[in-house]
Amino acid sequence: MLSPFPKSSCLAGEGRIVVKLSPNNVSALESIAYQYPLKLISPASAAEQGSVLIFLLSYGGGLVAGDQINLSIDVQPNARLSIVTQGHTKIFRSVTPDIVTRQNLKVDIKDGAALCLLPDPVQPFESSIYEQVQIFKLTAGASLCLLDWVTQGRTARGENWSLGRWIGRNEVWTAPGSEASSSKGRLLLRDAVILDGATRPTGSPSLRESMHGNAIIGTLILRGPMTKSMGAFFLAEFAALPRLGARDFRSAELREKEEAIPQSPFERWRARRLQEERDKQVLWSAANVRGCIVVKFGATTVEAARNWIGTMLIQEGSIERDFGEQALMCVR
Amino acid sequence: MSPFIVGGSQEALENEIADLELRLQKARDRLATSKTGPGHPGRQPPPAIPSEPSSSSAHHYLLLLSDSALPLGSFAFSSGLESYLAHTRRRGGPSITSSAAASASSFSSFLPLSLSSYASTTLPFVLAAHRDPTPASVAALDDMQDAAVICTVGRRASVAQGRALLSIWEKSMASTADPSASLAPYAELLRSAPKREGGGGEPPAAHAHLAPLFGAVGALCGLALRQTAYVFMLGHVKALVSAAVRAGLFGPYQAQRILAGAEVQGLLAEVIEREWDTPVEEAGQSVPVMDLWFGRHELLYSRIFNS
Repeated sequence: MLSPFPKSSCLAGEGRIVVKLSPNNVSALESIAYQYPLKLISPASAAEQGSVLIFLLSYGGGLVAGDQINLSIDVQPNARLSIVTQGHTKIFRSVTPDIVTRQNLKVDIKDGAALCLLPDPVQPFESSIYEQVQIFKLTAGASLCLLDWVTQGRTARGENWSLGRWIGRNEVWTAPGSEASSSKGRLLLRDAVILDGATRPTGSPSLRESMHGNAIIGTLILRGPMTKSMGAFFLAEFAALPRLGARDFRSAELREKEEAIPQSPFERWRARRLQEERDKQVLWSAANVRGCIVVKFGATTVEAARNWIGTMLIQEGSIERDFGEQALMCVR
Repeated sequence: MSPFIVGGSQEALENEIADLELRLQKARDRLATSKTGPGHPGRQPPPAIPSEPSSSSAHHYLLLLSDSALPLGSFAFSSGLESYLAHTRRRGGPSITSSAAASASSFSSFLPLSLSSYASTTLPFVLAAHRDPTPASVAALDDMQDAAVICTVGRRASVAQGRALLSIWEKSMASTADPSASLAPYAELLRSAPKREGGGGEPPAAHAHLAPLFGAVGALCGLALRQTAYVFMLGHVKALVSAAVRAGLFGPYQAQRILAGAEVQGLLAEVIEREWDTPVEEAGQSVPVMDLWFGRHELLYSRIFNS
């Protein structure tokens, strides 16, 4: 009989998740293991939701200096996994710059399988030192939806990009042997952000100044057949953004006439979103990089960014359809 | 001695020694000429063109590669400056008029960001290609950089200039500077690679990004590592300043003042030092808003630059 408690592994911060498709065509956990300070919870009731849901947590809701988390995830053919968090991942301050807090994530996704990783943003406190490396190996038919975002810190305590160092790196590789040409696997995408608050060239702006008023910056990476429509949606919405510096050459009457035409619900949604983007100064761009769609965004408040990414993902709808609405709980 | 060398590395000293030896040789030649007397045709035969790049020819190539007339087409790119101006104008509201002081100050806050960003994303690839300029290494670096350029606009700028540099190298420089044609296999790979990736297929094997090619060309011309890095970064500053002049931010005197200023020199030295030991795997964006400005360049209603 299965133990009600997940097995523990022996190394601090180590964790492993294996998800497979059970014979009745439902994604199921094959194994889950973790060790302090990492904590993984999988609510049992999620079977009909379309994907296995796992909460990625840490004891006390954050990582103190020197904490290391090494999580490896295996999503077997045709299985689906969603990972979320409960609140911001807080990174506490380091006493000296050589004490580094790390999170390493290694993920293998097989054909027909998919991972949806939409966590809350990372919140680095003043003088925190943090490095995060997330490596995804995908076979040709595998899918990935990854959100990685970082905030300015605890605004209530006056923090505004007061962190010591924050490095986030996301890599997407083709799985070894999945393509005839490469036996080792090929790097498709490497997205790296290096925020260094401490050692900056003299005369150059501080980290805070260099963020130009953004309270949060983020990256969304999409790859694989299951994210195809989502990727197309982001590219199309980006292409449809109003031109910067454009002028409205329509006459007043023509404008009135055109505004009188009733809008479709989608047009209304877009108009509302564009108004939000203007008001909250949400800046974003989308590009196709070697078959991966990379969306970069920044906003003047954390909530604006959350609302923006949320409304985009919910409006398009494929995440909710393929993974269940639980996968979106951090972006609502 | 040479104004292009910053810091007191071993290479700098080696270059200085080579330079001094060259001057000694020239002085001896002059002495020999003057001894032969006025009746003699007072010219020495010109020295044969060295087959290996020596220090003197390296100096020559240094000047060529740093020349703004090098036809890389850099003038077509503003490296995000044009988009930055459009975005900051918008954020600042319509009250900010384009007074000379405001334009100059907006450029002076952009320049260090751009330098830092360009160095952290790109310079490690120049350094790595210089340290190992074999075609296989250049191809690997090129592909790795292609995976790391995460926006269409930046890719366009890097590939356009890289292809131009490779053409110049192959058509004009390689025959003299590198008779063994050591980059030819890479150029062959680029030619054989399909231009656009097919639907869902693998990306092409070679792309011709500027940074790895610049590093390799620098090495093959005999430029020292630090010289190559310095010329590469200075080229970026020159392109930015020139774009600023054409965007109407300031005039040519102000442009030269920025280029000659201590601030730019200090920044160049510091960013090169910072990235000196950065492995290409750890190169990354140090100014995240730069990605937004770069990517959103495509949204400008009117634009005069390609990036």
